Amino acid sequence: MTLYGYAGKILRLDLSAQRAIEIDTADYRSWGGGHGLGSALFWDFCKDKTITDGTDPANVIVVTSSPLNGTLAPSAGRCEVVGVGLNTHPVHWYTRSNIGGRFGTMIRHAGYDAIVIEGKAPNPVWVDIRNRKVVFHDASDLWGTDSRTAQETIWRRMGVPRDVKTGWWNLNETAEEALDPATDQGRTTQRPAIMTIGPAGENRTCGGCLVHDAGNVAAVAGFGGVWGSKNLKAISVIGTGEIPVADATSLLRARSIIKEKYTSDIEQPDFEAWSKIGKQPKLMAMVSPPTDEYRPQACQGCVSGCRARYSVGYGHETKCQVTSWYFAPSRRVARSAKELVEINLRAADAAQRYGLNTYFALTGLHWLEHLVEEGVLGPGKAIHSDLPWEKYGTLEFAEQLVHALSCREDIGADLANGWVQAAYKWGREDDLRTGHMAFSYWGQPEHGYDPRAEVEWGYGSILGDRDICEHCFNIIFTNITASFAFAKPMRIGAEELVSIISEKLSPYAKNRPESLDYSDENMYSEDVAQLVRWHRHYTRFYKESALYCDLRWPDFYNTNTPDRRGATASEDAGEHVFWNAVTGDELSFEDGIELGRRIWNLDNAIWTMQGRHRDMVKFAPFIYETKYEKGELFPFFMWPCRDENGKWVYRDVMGRTMDRQKFEEFKSTFYRLEGWDVDSGWPTRTTLEGLDLAEVAATLDAAGRLGKESAS
Amino acid sequence: MAERNTHDPKEMTRRRFVASMAATGCVAATSSGVLLADGRFVIPNSEGFLVVDTKKCQGCGSCMMACSLAHSGSASYSESRIQIMQDSFGDWPNDLFIAQCRQCQNAPCVGVCPTGANHVDEANGNVRRVDPELCIGCRMCIQACPFTPARLQWDRDRRKSQKCDLCVDTPFLDEKGGPDGIQACVRVCPVKAIAFTREMPSQTLTDSSYQVNLRDWVWKRLGMTAE
Repeated sequence: MTLYGYAGKILRLDLSAQRAIEIDTADYRSWGGGHGLGSALFWDFCKDKTITDGTDPANVIVVTSSPLNGTLAPSAGRCEVVGVGLNTHPVHWYTRSNIGGRFGTMIRHAGYDAIVIEGKAPNPVWVDIRNRKVVFHDASDLWGTDSRTAQETIWRRMGVPRDVKTGWWNLNETAEEALDPATDQGRTTQRPAIMTIGPAGENRTCGGCLVHDAGNVAAVAGFGGVWGSKNLKAISVIGTGEIPVADATSLLRARSIIKEKYTSDIEQPDFEAWSKIGKQPKLMAMVSPPTDEYRPQACQGCVSGCRARYSVGYGHETKCQVTSWYFAPSRRVARSAKELVEINLRAADAAQRYGLNTYFALTGLHWLEHLVEEGVLGPGKAIHSDLPWEKYGTLEFAEQLVHALSCREDIGADLANGWVQAAYKWGREDDLRTGHMAFSYWGQPEHGYDPRAEVEWGYGSILGDRDICEHCFNIIFTNITASFAFAKPMRIGAEELVSIISEKLSPYAKNRPESLDYSDENMYSEDVAQLVRWHRHYTRFYKESALYCDLRWPDFYNTNTPDRRGATASEDAGEHVFWNAVTGDELSFEDGIELGRRIWNLDNAIWTMQGRHRDMVKFAPFIYETKYEKGELFPFFMWPCRDENGKWVYRDVMGRTMDRQKFEEFKSTFYRLEGWDVDSGWPTRTTLEGLDLAEVAATLDAAGRLGKESAS
Repeated sequence: MAERNTHDPKEMTRRRFVASMAATGCVAATSSGVLLADGRFVIPNSEGFLVVDTKKCQGCGSCMMACSLAHSGSASYSESRIQIMQDSFGDWPNDLFIAQCRQCQNAPCVGVCPTGANHVDEANGNVRRVDPELCIGCRMCIQACPFTPARLQWDRDRRKSQKCDLCVDTPFLDEKGGPDGIQACVRVCPVKAIAFTREMPSQTLTDSSYQVNLRDWVWKRLGMTAE
């Protein structure tokens, strides 16, 4: 029976024995793909689910694709990675990360839907996967190389032509192999997709990323450090296989609808359109491009590239926060706008090559500056550092800082184990109370969307495992705030906007616009709890399992359409429409949300096994004890709210604190709605069995960690 | 009426065979062309061509996916008739190359085919295309393509050659394809880096005439050079 949308096999890599084992994807079909598939595989193959150290050899990392990867589903080319990470506090939670580019697509052409990484290699290895042929290679001579050198070296060893115009290369090892239909591996013009680590990963730092191509990184979880602990330098995938699609005609038609209906015509575009899927390619860099000689560069299947490859030879494929991690200090020393851009893009390149997460810098650099200004950090100070702080802001300093953090040198020796962990070691935990160290949740930095203002972001992060980095509702802030800040057209008024969005929040908040009321009075309400539930379940399936891009989905509202309704949940080009065309399922949009709820519950079961309890689910003290008064970009933070008369308006929500007690009550509401034990936050048997997870309930029960059923 | 093209009969195996017949005084007509009395083999020009802007392409691979889906109903890069090759570390514009079939005027792949599988489809705008029923998998057409990479693909599973037919034979497309219809790659490209034209580009042994500038004021407004 054809398993539409799937390669059909899952690869288990036993690093300890350097053995490859195949299992059937069909056994895990009910989990969809991506995160759901990864969590199910982690549950089955991580024998000790109580581990709280990502470097434990028992840890299992799963790299997973989606049935949609490489199929023309619009902007669904991501790849999910799950496992116990290295970058949270007080324990290393089971967590997730996400990476773009070509890897998720090429895994499938190589014959696999997911790769399960188990054990620990005795020596450094890299793994060559070609059309289900798996070879472990010694990586001793690659250890110490940066991410680009590692990838280019592996390409050379595989015989990949250097010039993009060289063309077809043969995957067969011998001519005889090519002639026999049973053994012919075929040929391709594509380069193997390689996921690798740099020095930051090799040295097992919490900032260690998985890097693919020039600028795709799975960063926040610290999985690069986990690979380093497993002596795994790189995985290369290449293949010539085809992915069976259930209804190619419907797939092609729906993709055309995205282009014709939901996207403004590229020959006469609306440059200021309010939409996520319907935008023209636009560089998502936080600094100006260094030249106009570049192309937009996209993940596979994307409708709108957000990165670039330039003529100037640096900054390739880097976007978003990575392009500005060093912006604040560099702005003080750059002598021109051109120099400012070059410093930032070259600083980004340094981080990509070392495979270092730059997310720490969002607020971490401010904290280090504070320590320097206070006189406790520097040469001969209480926190000794030989870094040239007098050159702070220069490219030279940036490169030395990246090296130190990646190689556990200087202050990097402590920060490599976690920034909040370092704060405790340095006796600076009070900085988490004053807000000088704005690391909001689980030892991770505030994202620019502070929990006190953008509540769904904060709640989602603390109720989960990491900074969510899910911009589903954040687009509201972006559109509205940009209109206020730059006098751009306010395309949709508050009342219409919340009405359109809530139409799509099925089932929990459908046609309940009050769930989008971000006012002080409503921020702890059951309505907002329902919004957060929808968000957790939507993202767990559609964004992290189906692997739709965070920047392009969901498309709630869309000014390219006459009725301003976006593609999300629509019956002509909604997320589930593409899923069904590829897999042959008959999923409704709500079915996808329900599948997300199942995945979310399995994740909570894993966290529970790791020792989580509701008492741990707390923001950093500064969230409760100080006011949010300084935004990353603007001195105001606009969201839809109901005013005193119940009228919908856009209102500034800056300047408030989180009420500790009210947040505890909010947690209780959330746990109750989820069917979890309100006292502990653990899943209950009734809830788990209702999701066909009886075996999970039994495991929790045996561990003494099954939630109590509610009295009602 | 489409223009016709003549070329040297010594170039191609099949043509040499037919030419040997002509040497005996015959004037032969095949499904792909006409052999003149002087030994020249004539095939009609294609009525459509794909041109691309390699400086504009965003490398998303959507055209490759659409091509294989429209033709075979499955997603495959290796079986796409258009190939996007890119080097993530390369500098624009040499970081990416698009290889599409040129629907050549002299079509060496047609002339070399020993079975007539690779032929000129006169019912569909003279598109050069492969009939899979007749293809014996000898791969001579792939070898005959003078361009790098070869613009024909080897279907590993079906053991046959295939090539771009401008979407004449696309059972999974619910619109009419071909020179008088749509082409899946053109339709799907988000940035319009691929275009269909009826005007035959200059027939040289480089790709330059098939690489055009499709960037306009919108592209410039988006921040990228239109030059």
